[in-house]
Amino acid sequence: MTSIAKKRSAFRGNAVSGRAEALFHVTLGLFALCCIIPFIFVIIISLSSEDSIRRIGYSFTPQVFSLDAYTQVLHLGDSLWRSYFNSFLVTAVGTLLSVSMCVLYAYPLFRKDYRFRGFFSFLSFFTMIFGGGLIPTYIVCNSLLKMGNTYAALIVPMLVSPFNIIIMRTFFQTSVPFDLIEASTIDGAGEYTTLVRIILPIVKPGIATVALLTALAYWNEWFLCLLYVTDRNLYPLQYLLMEMQRNAEFLARNSSMIGAAGAEALRTLPSQTMRMAVVVFIVLPIACAYPFFQRYVVAGLTIGSVKG
Amino acid sequence: MKKFLALLLAALMLLSLTPAMADGPEEISILLEGNNVTDDAAVLEKLNAYLTEKINVTVKPVWGTWANFDDLARNAVNSGNNTYDIMFTCSWTSNEYAPYAKKGAYVRLDDPEDNLLETYGADLKTVLPELLFEGAMTEGPDGQKGIYAVPGFKDFATMSTWDVNVTLLEKYGYTLQDVIDAGFYGWGDIFAKVKAGEQADGSVFYPFIFEGAVAERNVNGTPIVTGDAGSLLSYYMNLEDVSTPGAYGNVLLNKYATPEFEKFAAQMHEYYEAGYIDPAISMGDTATDTWRNAQNSARYLISSEVSLYGYEVTTSNARGIQVAYIMSTDAPYIDNTSVQGAMMAISANSEHPEAAMKFLNLLNTDPYVMTLLNYGVEGIHYTLNDEGEVVFTDVRNNSYTVWTNGLGNVTILPPQKGQGADFQERFAAFYAGSKKLPIYGFTFDPKPVENEIAAVSNIKEAYMLGLCTGARDPQTDLPELLKKLDDAGMQKIVDEANAQLKAFLGE
Amino acid sequence: MNAANTVPARRKKHVTPGGRKKTFWLTTMMLPAAAWLLLIRYLPMGGIMMSFLDYRLPTRKMPFPVNLFHSKWVGLDNFKFLFTSESAQMIRNTIGYNVLWIILGLIIAVAFAIMMSELTKKFLAKTYQTMMFFPYFLSWVVVAYFLFAFMDPTNGMIVRSQKAAGGNVIDWYNSPQYWPVILTVCSMWKNTGYSTVLYLSAITGIDRSQYEAAAVDGATKWQQVIHVTLPHLKPMIVILLIMNVGKIFNADFGLFWSVPMNSAPLFPATQVVDTYVYRAYTTTGNVGMSTAAGFLQNLVGFICIMAANTIVRKLDPDSSLF
Repeated sequence: MTSIAKKRSAFRGNAVSGRAEALFHVTLGLFALCCIIPFIFVIIISLSSEDSIRRIGYSFTPQVFSLDAYTQVLHLGDSLWRSYFNSFLVTAVGTLLSVSMCVLYAYPLFRKDYRFRGFFSFLSFFTMIFGGGLIPTYIVCNSLLKMGNTYAALIVPMLVSPFNIIIMRTFFQTSVPFDLIEASTIDGAGEYTTLVRIILPIVKPGIATVALLTALAYWNEWFLCLLYVTDRNLYPLQYLLMEMQRNAEFLARNSSMIGAAGAEALRTLPSQTMRMAVVVFIVLPIACAYPFFQRYVVAGLTIGSVKG
Repeated sequence: MKKFLALLLAALMLLSLTPAMADGPEEISILLEGNNVTDDAAVLEKLNAYLTEKINVTVKPVWGTWANFDDLARNAVNSGNNTYDIMFTCSWTSNEYAPYAKKGAYVRLDDPEDNLLETYGADLKTVLPELLFEGAMTEGPDGQKGIYAVPGFKDFATMSTWDVNVTLLEKYGYTLQDVIDAGFYGWGDIFAKVKAGEQADGSVFYPFIFEGAVAERNVNGTPIVTGDAGSLLSYYMNLEDVSTPGAYGNVLLNKYATPEFEKFAAQMHEYYEAGYIDPAISMGDTATDTWRNAQNSARYLISSEVSLYGYEVTTSNARGIQVAYIMSTDAPYIDNTSVQGAMMAISANSEHPEAAMKFLNLLNTDPYVMTLLNYGVEGIHYTLNDEGEVVFTDVRNNSYTVWTNGLGNVTILPPQKGQGADFQERFAAFYAGSKKLPIYGFTFDPKPVENEIAAVSNIKEAYMLGLCTGARDPQTDLPELLKKLDDAGMQKIVDEANAQLKAFLGE
Repeated sequence: MNAANTVPARRKKHVTPGGRKKTFWLTTMMLPAAAWLLLIRYLPMGGIMMSFLDYRLPTRKMPFPVNLFHSKWVGLDNFKFLFTSESAQMIRNTIGYNVLWIILGLIIAVAFAIMMSELTKKFLAKTYQTMMFFPYFLSWVVVAYFLFAFMDPTNGMIVRSQKAAGGNVIDWYNSPQYWPVILTVCSMWKNTGYSTVLYLSAITGIDRSQYEAAAVDGATKWQQVIHVTLPHLKPMIVILLIMNVGKIFNADFGLFWSVPMNSAPLFPATQVVDTYVYRAYTTTGNVGMSTAAGFLQNLVGFICIMAANTIVRKLDPDSSLF
C-alpha cells in the first residue's frame, strides 16, 4: 500500500492546472447533479398529496405532504418482501455464475497461443448478431429444458453475454503482459492455477466492472419473468412494477372491450403518486446497495493500477 | 449445415414427445385472464375434491393477469406446448379466437368425427342461449365452420353510452333531459357554464373527459368489426333500430373517410379548443388514467362508458354522485365482438381434451363449481347476507380477485351485495331484449391483406386519438391522414373486407 | 503504440510450453459457456426459417418442429411490411439516432472519463461517478415517469410554471419537433455514466509510470492524453464502436416505447424499426413477420459489423474484434 501512496503523491506533481480542474469539477458536477435530481423530484411527488397535485401540479415544494401512496404500496405486503428476496437471490446467484463463466471463456480467447481461439471467438461473437427469435428460444427453454416456473428461468437464459466476454477479453489484453503467463508456465503452474493465482488479481477492475454490469442486468430484468413464470412466489421486484405498468397499458388499450369489469379493475389500479412510490421502492434499495458495490469496483480500480 | 439443422430439429422433436400416462384423476391446466390471485389453496382443495368425485378430474388454474396473459397465450399457442389444456380466448386481446381457430390452435368442439360437445358437454346446449353458439361459429383450419370454444354467458350485448354526472348537472340548473335533447353537437353552452362555475375557485376543470377510441361510436354508431384488430373499418348502424341496415347499407367503409367522421372530429376540435376537454386524454399512456380518475373522483360532467345492466347503481355508490347512462342505440346490440368477448377453448395440444370438456360442462352448469372458482369459499372469501347476496371479505379482495366474466356462465352465480335476489332474472330479461346487428356472424379475416394492415395501423395510430379527442384539427390533419392511408393501401383492405362480407351475407 | 502492447505483438510466434495439455485445459475453461451458447443460442437459430414461412401452428399430431416442414414457403412475403410508403421515416429515425448517439456517446464518455481520472480530489471523483452511474440502474419506464413529472400536460412542472408565468404553454407530448433533442438527452443521461465507468476502469489500468515518463520528457497534460491515454483506450473504443455499428438497425425499444408515453403524434420523431414491428405484431399476430424483421435487423448488423471489422483490421490488426 505504501508504494501506491508514494506513486500517487509523485503523480500529483503531474496534475492538470487548477483552472482546468475547476472546469472539470463544474462540468462533471453539473452533469452528476442532473442525474439524480429527477429521482429526488419523484420522491417528493410520491410524498405529495393528491389534492396538492391537483391544485399546483407536480412541484418541488408541494402544499401538503402525505404518506398515502406508501401505505398503498405497503398493502402489497408479503408479495413485496417476497419479490425483494427473489430479486436479491436471482441477482446474487446469476452474477456469480455468469461472471465465472465469462472469465473462464474470455481468458483462453485472450491467450494468443490457444489453438481454438478463432473458433470459440466466432462462436460467441456470432450469437451477438444472430438469434433464433422469441418463439424458438421459448421452446428450448420451456419445452426442452423445462425451466417454466423455476428460478432457473430467471437466471439461465442470461448466463452468457458475448458482450461481457469481449469486454473481459479486452481487459485481459490491456492489463496482462504476455510474459507473465510465459513465466508462470515455465514455473510449471497449471492453467487454472495461473489464471486464479496470477491473472485474476491483475484483472480485478475488469471483473468488478463486468460483475456490476451483470448484477444490474439481473436486477432490472423482468421480461424473463413475463415469459416463463406464472407463480407469484417467484416474481422479482422489477416485475411487480412492470406488472402494474402493463396492467395499466393493457386496460388502457382494451377498456372498451372489457367494459365495466375493466372499469372495476382500473379503479383498483395504482394512482400516479402510488406508481411514483413504487418507483422509489424499486430504486431505493439499489441506491442504498450501490455505494457498497461501488466500493468493490473502486477497490478493484486501485489494485488494477499496481502491476508488473 | 442443412443436415445439422435437420438433426437438431429431430432431436428437439423426440424430446418434446413425452408420454403422459397416469392413474387416478386426470389433471387439467387452465390459463385464465385478468386475475389477481395470490392464494388459491383453499379453493382448489374443495374444488378438486368435488371434481374428482363428480368427473374424476382435477384442475390447476394458471391465474393470468392483464399484464402477462397475452404473452403466455401467444407463446403457448405458437410454440405448440401442452402446458395448458384449456385457454381463455376472446375476440379482442392477442389470443384472438377467430384467427387462432383458423390456424388450428384449438380443438373443434362439434367435430362430426369426435363431437366433444355432444358427448361430454350436452348440458351446455340447454343452459347457454343458442345465440351464443351461433356467434361462436368460426372457420377452422379446414375451412369449415365450427365451434372452437365454449362462449361465456355474460353481458353478451354492447351498450355504448355517455356517462353523465347528474349531481353536477343539476347544480347548474340542467336536467338529464337537457343533455339528451341538446345531443353531442349541442353541449357547448352546458360545458361553458359548468366549466366557468367549477373554475371559480381558481382550479382547473374539464367537463368532458371520455375514452377517445369509443367516443365516435357513441355519436355515429360504428360498432367494432370483429377481426379488425386495428379498428380500421366502419359499419354504420341504424341508431333507431340496430337490427336493420344503416344509412350505408351492409357495407364496410374506411372509418376516416366519411362525412360523419369529419363532422364529429370538427365538433370535438371545437370543444377541445374551448378548453372543455382534458388534453391528457389525447395521449396514449395517460388517456385511460385521466379518464378513469376523473370518473372516480367525480370531477367530470360528461364521460363515456361501455356499460352493462345495472351498472349505474354500482358507479353511483362508488363515486358518491348520481350517475346516469345515455345509451346511443335503441337497444343493446349483439355483434360477434361482444358474444366472443370471453370464451374457453381447448388447446389442440391438450392430452386431455375429454376431461377438459367434462370440466367446462360442469363449470358452466353447476353453480357450486362456478361460485367456488369465481367467488371463493364461503366463510373465507365471502359471506352471504340475509338477502342471500354475496359479501366479499378482505381475504377475497386481497388474495383472490378473479375476473368474473373471464370464467364462463355468470348467470348461475349468486347475486352480489346491492344487486337484489332477483338480479339474475332481471339481467337475463334485459339482455333478451337486445338486438342482432345485420352483419352479426361476420368475422373479418385479415390474413390476405396483412402487410397493408401492418402499415395502415401504424399510420392510423398516429392520428386516431388526436382526432377523436379534438387535439388535432381535422381541417389540416384529416386530409393528411387520408392521403397517407391511401398510399399505404387502405382501399385494398376495404375492398377485401367487403368481398368477404358479401360472401358471408350471400350464404 | 506503447510498450506494454508492443511486447506480445512483436513476437513472431506465441509459444508457451505445454502443447496438448495446455490446449486441453484451456478448452475445458470454454466448455460451460460454449455448451450454453449451443443450447440457448444456436439451437433456436433453426427458427430463422420462420421468416420465410406462412407459419403453421404446432399441434399434437404435428408437433414442433415438424410443423415447419408443413408450413407453406412464402419467400420474402413476410418482409414486405417493412418496405411500404411509411417505412422510410422509421428507418431514417433508427439509423439517424444510432449514428448520432454512437458519436456523441463516445465523445462525451471518453471526455468524462479522462476528466474524472485527472481530478485530484478522489472523493469528489467517486461521488460524481456514483451519481452519474445512477441513471443506468433505472429502467426506461422509470425514466418515463421522471420526464413525465416535468412535462405532463396538466400537472407537469414545466407546464405549470409556464402557465404561472403567463407564457406560451408547450404541449410536449403533441409536438414532435422537440423530441429528437429530448430523446438524445435521455439516451446520454442514462448511458453516459455506464460508458464512462468502462473507459475509466481502462484508464486506471494504465501504468502510471508511463505518464511520469512522459512528464519527465516535457509532455504537457494534453499531449499525455493524446499520446498515452488515448492509445490505451483505443482497443476499448474500437471494440465498442464495432459492436455499436452492428446494432445500427436496432433501437432501444424501452426508450422509444415508454419515454414518449406512446403518444401517437410524436411518431414522426419516435417511430423506429423495433416499435414499428411491435405495433405491427400486436395488430396482426403474425410470428413470421416479426421473425423476418428480426432476421433482417441481424443481417444488416452482420454486414455492418463485418465491414467495420475489415476496415479496422486493415488499419490496425491488433484492435479488430476477430
